[in-house]
Amino acid sequence: MKLTSTKFFRTFSQPLWGNNPVSIQSLGICSALAVTVQLKTAVVMGISMTVVVAFSSLLISLIRNRIPRNIRIIAELIIIATLVILTDEFLRAFYYDISKQLSVFVGLIITNCIVLGRTEAFALSNPPHLAFIDGIGNGAGYSAALIMVAFIRELLGSGKFFGLKILPGIFYTAGYEDMGFMLLAPSAFIIIGLMVWLQKTWVKNDTK
Amino acid sequence: MFNRIKSLLFALVLCLICGSLLAFASKGLKNRQQDNITTDRQKNILKSVGLIKEEMTYTPDQIKTLFIDTIKRVSVDEAGRIIDEKENTEIPGSKIFPIYLYVQSDDSIAAYVIPIDTKGLWGKIHGYLSLGNDGSTINGFTIYKHSETPGLGGEIEKTWFQQNFVGKKIVDRHGAFVSLSIARGKVENNIPEDRRKNYVDGISGATLTGKFLTEGLKETLSSYEPVSIRFRKNNFRDYKQIEKKQR
Repeated sequence: MKLTSTKFFRTFSQPLWGNNPVSIQSLGICSALAVTVQLKTAVVMGISMTVVVAFSSLLISLIRNRIPRNIRIIAELIIIATLVILTDEFLRAFYYDISKQLSVFVGLIITNCIVLGRTEAFALSNPPHLAFIDGIGNGAGYSAALIMVAFIRELLGSGKFFGLKILPGIFYTAGYEDMGFMLLAPSAFIIIGLMVWLQKTWVKNDTK
Repeated sequence: MFNRIKSLLFALVLCLICGSLLAFASKGLKNRQQDNITTDRQKNILKSVGLIKEEMTYTPDQIKTLFIDTIKRVSVDEAGRIIDEKENTEIPGSKIFPIYLYVQSDDSIAAYVIPIDTKGLWGKIHGYLSLGNDGSTINGFTIYKHSETPGLGGEIEKTWFQQNFVGKKIVDRHGAFVSLSIARGKVENNIPEDRRKNYVDGISGATLTGKFLTEGLKETLSSYEPVSIRFRKNNFRDYKQIEKKQR
């Protein structure tokens, strides 16, 4: 059997492209607008998100047969909230500057539909190893979308790549100007919109 | 009935586990976080006097040494006299204000920094305002903690907003204290020519944050006015002299 056709691999690759949480399911847009002015914050946010989705899916899948049905959402939220606060505390202790820039958005992972959606739709009915890899896949899909948006915004908005000036000075002397609009939230909306359009046309042509 | 008790027990055990985990993590990381906060404040004080540039990165140790080398923390009383740290606890009922002095290597005071600790729209705004040794020109302004709406009032933490403070005056052209206000909209469109030195550009969508900050700055600067007057009269220029006078 080929690696690409195993259930394990498909669980991971589906959310990366065909079922991307941001560009196909349109989830997690709020944070995708807020933290994508620079690549650095986007990457840290992506990693935090991946850790939270992966481990909440894993933990909930581990105790899925013990969770009483009537309080399952509360139980899921307790676990997610705990993981998010742990991540936030960790960032505050070791990456203070970035955590200041991300401000409330790490805390808001709790309310991100991707996390609760994955635990509710996948982790509750699948074994731990699949739930974990599903979490990683969704986190990676979310990160990929964020990183793409942040790359475009940072490059066009301030001519930088990971905080380093990469556009040569000649550009500026020749009359090129950074696009201030890219630093504002609406620009992310437009970029995400274009991404959704491109990907949907692409996926449609693929299946034809 | 049995199911309900089971649910209740499950919730209880889960909460206990998660709660203790969080308590443990919070306790364990507290010192590091506190360290980060201290460094961040020192960095903001240094930034307000212009010793740290926005685009450069500094290690915490660099900030600590730079801070110890250049900044002296003292207290001033209501009359604007600089008093020793230890004294202030012994005088009951008197008002003492903390102040940071930027002392250069030849012991001259280049600037003084006033901590801003004021009400915002949603919570407190904390920052530093640095004034030059003429007692009237703003050297820099920084904010290190606030809970304003990100994207609207939250813009007060951005460089473009704080950069507007540099070079502004807290006195009018006759030298009388007027504080500094945040304008509604752009200064050049809304404020008469002769008063533009006392205003900075406002943030669109954040009128209330601007209003609160204006009030807070006025209140804080008024209580520091006695010190500022001494600076304007040229009384405070040499750190060594002040030290001697105290003894």
